[in-house]
Amino acid sequence: MPLWKSYHIPRTVDEALATLAQYGGAARIVAGGTDLMVDLQYTDHVQPLEALVDVTRVQEMLDIHQEADDSCRLGAAVTHATIVKSTLLEARATCLVESCGVVGGPQVRNVGTLGGNVAHALPAGDGTTSLMALDAQALVAWGGGLHEWLPLPALFRGPGVSALDHGKDLLVAFRFTLCAPGEATAFKRIMRPQGVALPILGCAVWVKLNAARTHYDDVRVCVSPVAPKPVRAVEVEAALRGQPVGQQTLENAVAAAHRTLHPRASAYRATAEYRQHMIETLLRQTLPLATERAKTGEARAEGVGLG
Amino acid sequence: MTNHESIAVGHTVKRIDALGKVTGTTPYPGDIDMQGQLWMKLRYSERAHARIVAVDTRAAQALPGVVRVFTAKDVPVNEYGLIIRDQPVLCGPGSAKPGADIVRCYADYVAAVVAENESIAAAAARLIQVEYEDLPTVFDPEAAMREGAPLLHAHTPNNILSHYRIRRGDMAAGWAQADVVVEGEYHTGYQEHAYLQPEAGLGYVDDLGRVTIIVAGQWTHEDQDQVAHALGLPVEQVRIVYPAIGGAFGGREDMSVQIVLALAAYHLRRPVKIIWSREESILYHHKRHPITIHCKWGATKAGKLVAMQARVIGDVGGYAYTSTKVLGNANLMVSGPYECENMHFDTYAVYTNNIPTGAFRGFGAPQAALAAETQMNKLAQALAIDAVEIRRRNVVQEGSILSVGTPLPKGVSMQPVVEACARESGWSLRDGHFQRAATTQPDNPALRRGLGFACGFKNVGYSFGFPEQNWAAIELYGSAEIEHVVVRAGGADVGQGAHTVFVQMSAEALGVPLEKVRLITHDTAQTRTAGSASASRMTFMTGNAIRGAAAQALENWRNEDRPALATYQYRPPKTTPYDPQTGKSEPNYAYGYVAQSVELDVDIETGHIFVRRVVSVNDVGKAINPQLVEGQIEGAVVQAQGYALMENLISRQGRVLNPFLSTYLIPTVLDVPPEVKSLILEYPDPIGPWGARGVAEMPFIPLAPAIIAAFHDATGVWMHTIPLTPDRVVKALREHGLGLL
Repeated sequence: MPLWKSYHIPRTVDEALATLAQYGGAARIVAGGTDLMVDLQYTDHVQPLEALVDVTRVQEMLDIHQEADDSCRLGAAVTHATIVKSTLLEARATCLVESCGVVGGPQVRNVGTLGGNVAHALPAGDGTTSLMALDAQALVAWGGGLHEWLPLPALFRGPGVSALDHGKDLLVAFRFTLCAPGEATAFKRIMRPQGVALPILGCAVWVKLNAARTHYDDVRVCVSPVAPKPVRAVEVEAALRGQPVGQQTLENAVAAAHRTLHPRASAYRATAEYRQHMIETLLRQTLPLATERAKTGEARAEGVGLG
Repeated sequence: MTNHESIAVGHTVKRIDALGKVTGTTPYPGDIDMQGQLWMKLRYSERAHARIVAVDTRAAQALPGVVRVFTAKDVPVNEYGLIIRDQPVLCGPGSAKPGADIVRCYADYVAAVVAENESIAAAAARLIQVEYEDLPTVFDPEAAMREGAPLLHAHTPNNILSHYRIRRGDMAAGWAQADVVVEGEYHTGYQEHAYLQPEAGLGYVDDLGRVTIIVAGQWTHEDQDQVAHALGLPVEQVRIVYPAIGGAFGGREDMSVQIVLALAAYHLRRPVKIIWSREESILYHHKRHPITIHCKWGATKAGKLVAMQARVIGDVGGYAYTSTKVLGNANLMVSGPYECENMHFDTYAVYTNNIPTGAFRGFGAPQAALAAETQMNKLAQALAIDAVEIRRRNVVQEGSILSVGTPLPKGVSMQPVVEACARESGWSLRDGHFQRAATTQPDNPALRRGLGFACGFKNVGYSFGFPEQNWAAIELYGSAEIEHVVVRAGGADVGQGAHTVFVQMSAEALGVPLEKVRLITHDTAQTRTAGSASASRMTFMTGNAIRGAAAQALENWRNEDRPALATYQYRPPKTTPYDPQTGKSEPNYAYGYVAQSVELDVDIETGHIFVRRVVSVNDVGKAINPQLVEGQIEGAVVQAQGYALMENLISRQGRVLNPFLSTYLIPTVLDVPPEVKSLILEYPDPIGPWGARGVAEMPFIPLAPAIIAAFHDATGVWMHTIPLTPDRVVKALREHGLGLL
């Protein structure tokens, strides 16, 4: 039995929304399909889906654009592989390149999109974790007609549950400020040593050092999954903000993480105890790395997968 | 024609199935369709242990497009099983077989729905109402053996399917001689076969009225027997045909879709097809046995073993499958390939309400070797003797008496195999002793590098008196010279290349070029029994059958028969079962020997393990096709690496929680070690064809203990439970103060 009846390839956001509206919620948006196709095949269908609306040819969802205010507007249908190849993002949003570079395998990165990753609403989504550290906003075109920029957490209702109705609402783009001198990011994750698998734990950090590069003016940290939705590690950030760069500050941040972050066990991926250990390991890797990048102004993405 | 150079045996010839497989034209069972075929879906047990009070199929039967719903009452002889017929084909009331109304695990089938298409069959299967009356459950084999535990099967007190004993020598005297004693309790996990091709099949009634099943299995004639028994038909009324088989590893030794397809095709007189999803494959075929092994070994200061004690408990799950043989093998192999005067082993196969366990590459030997080899490595450490050196002082030799009180069959090569592996892995002989080179540590301080060593042995062929035979038939056509040859040999090519090897051995035995040989196989209507593609036996057994048939056919050819025909049954030397009290027996007629070293890095921060280099030295007797032998070695190493490091099938209350390859992780190409050095040794087996032994299982066996040894070498920590998941590794390392930058 086919999984859907018709397949649409709109070229504009308006056309996409109109096509969705035409099906009255019975269509589904597809933006790469690396999660959706698996879901469709494992759902018991008595009837095929009415329609799929493929948004990966909508031009305004495909751009990586540096705006006048030094922010970046990133189309939601940009693939992970395209993000990994962006020199702008590697230099000034390094964590995003590092996280998109470890998603799935080469085939998944070639077709899977960042918007699809975020819309799937998994709290451990690698792209999501880095967007949180970048304090990104998301542009949503609601089925009702309203277009609005929202903070990223507003897109999440719970594990795998998005605030968006995938038959009506379209995630169009992301927006975040690019790193300026004295600012830098880093992302690492714990997964199986090699090959393709879902992450066990991911951690993205953004740091802003003072002019003398001796203190943290500001810090953003996202460790995931530690909650049903992606959240910032605010206590860890507080332990760093305004503090001198150095070992003691790192120890304080680690202590704050142990005190306030409590990941759950996953039946077949990791025990809670292991994740708790790995929070510390990741913080001890990412914070010094981002700090070093902020000091030197040089950032080359690490750990990006093959392909 | 009698005196010739080797023309086919010993050469890497191209596989006869290569072109079709790499171009995708070779059909596997799921690829085959027939006009007018129906589709089947199964309804499985939703309880670990329950009596089925009622099965209401009315709603399912009423769904448009549903042809028939089969339940227990429709199965003429509602029982099956490779060694013991202890499992109902369909569980439920109305069957003449006592106890067939009980489900004993989640892998039981309750109903088979046949419909015009697959989605209707699936929808109908969900509409079946099954009323259960829960029975008490038991999931821990130790608990299942205790008095008062729920009993799964009649006539099986304490749920003990088998109890094997080894009683050799005088244990008190042995312990008295021991200068050092090491003890350990080892735990191994389930392993999923994860073959490329999930179960699938097509059943129909052929022109001669035979119910015919196109399916992938490991032994056509055993499938035929089991189908015929359950349908109450004479075996001639059942035909089994294997197209290409997408891997097996023991996982197709038992029935999956064969009987239910036959039942439906026989009754409906229409073709019926089924394809299992990956999820169904993982949930509903058996797994490798989780085994707990408690060992206590003693040795003298000189490193000579003087006492060995072991208690081995294997989780059988709800039904026997081949558990009696797997645990029998574990009982034999738990001594390792070592000589010792005093041994005391108790091995139990215990029913529980877990998923059934059965055959899987190595057949109990990998679990036993994990314990035996780790014990040996611990002894080496305790005595400050090199790991290779302590093996040289204990390994079996020609004429050695095994735990079972009888000598090994001739052709024992353990010592030269161990020494060759040591040399290939950085050991050198100084003053008559083997010493290893120092390991260079990596620059990254989070990484600790280590080197580990282990060895093992494995029987070739069926053990303990199980009837062992293999038939081949040869037809020689031509007039002055042989123009073409037809060979009938039914053994399963499960992907290992058996059929290519059959052709090579036929050409060699007949002195004809490979191109003249045509093989007819995989069809009960056209071949006689070959036994299963298991126990590393197919080359050995079919090779001997081909040699016998070839000799007779050539004789007939010389006597001017045209065509010259011959049929030959090869039977190896008899084996005998364990004596129930002492274990005395002649368990096997041939063995293969293997030794391996592993170099790996442990990331002490994340618990990840990177296998860098594996050396696998294998005495295969004679490599009929060296490239295929290497393929077996490399494949076994990677599969064993998955077993040792990552494959973690999680079962709670009898239910498998991760029946997907996204959550049950097997090695991918990126996990394969940068170097697997396969060294093939050829110490001929005196009764093997051209000296051949076997290969499929041996390279699996020592890898996990070699990894454990390398891990210890890297970190100073002994691990006792596999797989070495990052969770387990980090927990153990932190307890020893290792890690955290």
